[in-house]
Amino acid sequence: MRRFFAALWFAIASSLQNFRRNLGVSVAGVCTMGLILVLVGTTVLATHLLTNVLHDQESRASKLKIYIQDGASLAGIVNFQHQLQSDSRVLAVSFENKDQAYQEAQSKGTDIATAVNALGSNPLPASLNVDVRQLRYLVQLDAVARTDPLVDPTQPTDYNADVTPKIQTAITGIEIVGGVLSGMLLVISLVIIMNTIRTAVYARRTEIEIMKLVGATDWFVRWPFILEGVLGGVFAAVLSSAILALAYKVAVGATHGDLFAIPFDGPFTAVLIAALFAGGAVVGAIGSYLGVRRFLAA
Amino acid sequence: MSVALAQRPAVGGDPSLRPVISFHGVGKTYASGTVALRDIDLAIYQRDFVFLVGASGAGKSTLVRLLIRDEQASSGRIFVDGQEVTRMKRRKLPKLRRKFGIVFQDYKLLPTLTVGQNVAFALQVTHPGQRHIREKVEETLWIVGLEDKIEKFPDELSGGEQQRVAIARALVIRPRIFLADEPTGNLDPDTSWGIVQLLLQINHRGTTVLMATHNREVVDLVRRRVIAIDGGRVIRDEQEGQYLREGEATI
Repeated sequence: MRRFFAALWFAIASSLQNFRRNLGVSVAGVCTMGLILVLVGTTVLATHLLTNVLHDQESRASKLKIYIQDGASLAGIVNFQHQLQSDSRVLAVSFENKDQAYQEAQSKGTDIATAVNALGSNPLPASLNVDVRQLRYLVQLDAVARTDPLVDPTQPTDYNADVTPKIQTAITGIEIVGGVLSGMLLVISLVIIMNTIRTAVYARRTEIEIMKLVGATDWFVRWPFILEGVLGGVFAAVLSSAILALAYKVAVGATHGDLFAIPFDGPFTAVLIAALFAGGAVVGAIGSYLGVRRFLAA
Repeated sequence: MSVALAQRPAVGGDPSLRPVISFHGVGKTYASGTVALRDIDLAIYQRDFVFLVGASGAGKSTLVRLLIRDEQASSGRIFVDGQEVTRMKRRKLPKLRRKFGIVFQDYKLLPTLTVGQNVAFALQVTHPGQRHIREKVEETLWIVGLEDKIEKFPDELSGGEQQRVAIARALVIRPRIFLADEPTGNLDPDTSWGIVQLLLQINHRGTTVLMATHNREVVDLVRRRVIAIDGGRVIRDEQEGQYLREGEATI
């Protein structure tokens, strides 16, 4: 047990000493890793925020108004409403009568009263307002609605064939671009970090050689380097988290009240920072392990 | 080629004892195709002091590296202290290497550590948690005559002093066998002689010493066992030998 703690202490002490002694290389490694973590963090955060905004748009767009013909029987409408409610693609269905349609139009500021006066009656149709589970079901439910005899044949639904595919395309595009960008950054960061650590390890090949020559075990040689890698990764995470949090705060403040205001997502930011710390430590450890490996091979 | 093998017993040796080091038909060919050693047979006993001589590229350093399994032999078998090195599992290598104290021509000291820390480094690595490291370091530095340099850094010392620190680092773990690969290669004749006297002193305390060298003056002056290598083969193995035999001009 005494030997174990002595070996552990040696590993911790020498990793701290080495970090300090090779400060130039250590700082360069931390800065490189920190900048890459900033890039990864920014990409992940931007993708998350954009996807959130678009999902919000999607949820608003995921509503279908099915217009009912004037004179349709109440029993028929209730029956159609039940039929829609039992559809797995539908979240909820509510009935809106002609008066409610009139009030809604008025509440949106439409000058409906003039039209009512001119026509002598309320021209707005009653409708079944359908909340659709996913945007892509809109077109299918629109097709279903058009076949029902209760539905107004002149204007069956408010489905706009142009808008929904665009939102869908935008979400899919951002998710793909974000995913590819994050993946590329991850691969690039691993290569850069491994090379940075390998350079740091190369500078200390004599130390490794001496340790091997006097009879150190492979793990005894590895541990100080791995701990140093973890330390570098944690410092890089501190650096990147600070930059990212500050930039995010500034961006949220600067766009507050704008049409395209950047929303603040506290819980996600906390998770992201925790992930940056874990990622920095793990990448630092793996990079050091791989960096030392070639010098241990004999 | 007939090889004159040294007759046993060696100085202070016992022919009934097993050799500390033995090579049996050992060959080494590098991946590039270069043949470094061919069919080496030799035995070294406890308390032997052996000079390994030969021109650059003769295979001296390869032989030293095979002993500590820094390189793997291509053929044959090597035994150290009764254990077969050539078939040893990788996880057992640290224990094998702790039997050796090793010094090189370029000292291999850590420039950021003081003399005392360089020597202590070997103990911390091989015996973590060992007590009285400071006392052991001081005692070893006293043996090599550097007890007053314990707080100095390597670049504050002369070449000879740096080599003494390397010897102290090798010695502090109390090795059974001392390997010196061209330890006087970077030193002037007077300093070289001081280093060789130190190795003789270590040998006198009971440690087997194997010294690979180019230094003709030292070999001829000390008159200990000489194993000459040329073209990867042992061409001569003599007790109280000389660097060159009369008429031998190939080395």
